[in-house]
Amino acid sequence: MIAIDKLCYNSRLRYENAGEKFAFAVITLCICVMSRSTATACIVLAVTGILSIWKGGIPVRRYLRFLTVPLAFLFLSTLAVMFHIKKAPLDLLAIPVGSWYLTVGTDSFLYAVQLIFTALAAVSCLYFLSFTTPVPDILEVLHRLRCPALLTELMLLIYRFIFILLETADAIATSQNCRLGNRDYKTSLRSFGLLGSALMIRAFQRSGRLYDAMEARCYDGRIHVLSENRPPRKKIIVYIIIFDTALFLFAVWRRFFS
Amino acid sequence: MSNEIILKAENLYFSYDDDHTHSLNGLSLEIRKGQKVAFMGANGSGKSTFFLCCTGILKPQKGHLSFQGNEYRYDKKSLLALRSKIGIVFQDPDNQLFCASVYQEISFGILNLGVSPEEAKKEVEQIIDYLEITPFRDKPAHALSGGQKKQVSIADILVMHPDIIILDEPAAALDPKHTRMVNHIVDQMTEAGITVLMSTHDVDYAYAWADEVILFHEGKVLRHGSALEVFHDEQALSQTNLEPPAVLSLFETLCRKGILNSSLLPPRNLQTLERYIEESGSPVS
Repeated sequence: MIAIDKLCYNSRLRYENAGEKFAFAVITLCICVMSRSTATACIVLAVTGILSIWKGGIPVRRYLRFLTVPLAFLFLSTLAVMFHIKKAPLDLLAIPVGSWYLTVGTDSFLYAVQLIFTALAAVSCLYFLSFTTPVPDILEVLHRLRCPALLTELMLLIYRFIFILLETADAIATSQNCRLGNRDYKTSLRSFGLLGSALMIRAFQRSGRLYDAMEARCYDGRIHVLSENRPPRKKIIVYIIIFDTALFLFAVWRRFFS
Repeated sequence: MSNEIILKAENLYFSYDDDHTHSLNGLSLEIRKGQKVAFMGANGSGKSTFFLCCTGILKPQKGHLSFQGNEYRYDKKSLLALRSKIGIVFQDPDNQLFCASVYQEISFGILNLGVSPEEAKKEVEQIIDYLEITPFRDKPAHALSGGQKKQVSIADILVMHPDIIILDEPAAALDPKHTRMVNHIVDQMTEAGITVLMSTHDVDYAYAWADEVILFHEGKVLRHGSALEVFHDEQALSQTNLEPPAVLSLFETLCRKGILNSSLLPPRNLQTLERYIEESGSPVS
């Protein structure tokens, strides 16, 4: 998660208008998921990949590594879709188990492939968003989309304090290790428990102090902050409209006319 | 220097948990407008508690506080009015910065004052420029160094244009470069007519900088006076475990040895002392 955060702050697309990036990622994601077509998924995968790597400046290897993160999970879950237990074997593969068959048909195989590609393409859309848009910018878009303030404010605070929590946990763990806190299995288990409780207490203290500090700046129950968004560019909006319309038409054609 | 009393505390008592240990134990003091006041004293002597009382975050169990002659009231409206006039920069910036974006962070306080977004934008840009935050304004808060976070936390408060700024150990855990930077900012604040209250453990800095020094001891004011008066009071210093400033000690030794004339005004900083020594040396030619 921290790696993604670092990448997105260094992305070349960081200063593009957040609304554009958000709209592109979400609309493309919706078309891709609803189309249920391998071809559409492949196009989306290619386009978001090219945008993230070539336009955004994400190193190719890191991008591919990030794409493999959900792969293991995907394979395991599509196995269930691919294999059937039937009395009669299907056309592609059949393993006899007693009087039944563990069997794969061409249909179910293609369906599984399509699922994997669609899921990967969907993930790549979200990666595109998270590789190019810092969280505060995304929150700004959500705010404009009338997302309840309670949610966006919570996300704002959580995003900031995740890093402090990790830093604190890291510091405590280091100091535990310096005092042989992970000498054997038993001590490391104990240390881990102590770390958890210490973190809990610190988090409480910190939240109290943060509240004080916010009150001292006239906090009135709502977090008001200025947005610092770059103005949208017409050219980019036109590109997004053209691409997503074309993608949509392609998806409709694949689904109903081919 | 005006003699108008901007902040007054009378007989404050405050205890965090029970009635036996008091963080503030009958504390009384007066702060005059435009002064640079250093608060010194051991950890746990009540400095931070007093600061939190000043901004109305903590309410003393007994005693009176008044700002510009008006007694503190603790309803929401009065507190907001008070806090728009008294700003506090906390010791640990991580307790103060709640936004990941520097720009949004700084805009929080001023928007709470009810200023229009356009005006707020202008003010925020101004303060970012003024405090030299521009080089890292686009970085997320968690990627800033300690000194940069401090700059942002000062900007947070300065953008609200308070009459009093409280700095709780601003130089704690800063490198020399950022310490100098913070000191420079503090000097500019006083020039702008802001009353600055600062807690510090740095005797030499307090002696060089402050108009007044207040020594805290066990929740009470042990000594309050000009920097010179307080740092001459050896008894009070030893009671609070403070050493006299190096420049002052050296000056006194030089006077005792007859190298410097003891009628000279005690120097506030090393440069003045050096000048004294240069000037006193018998001319070679």
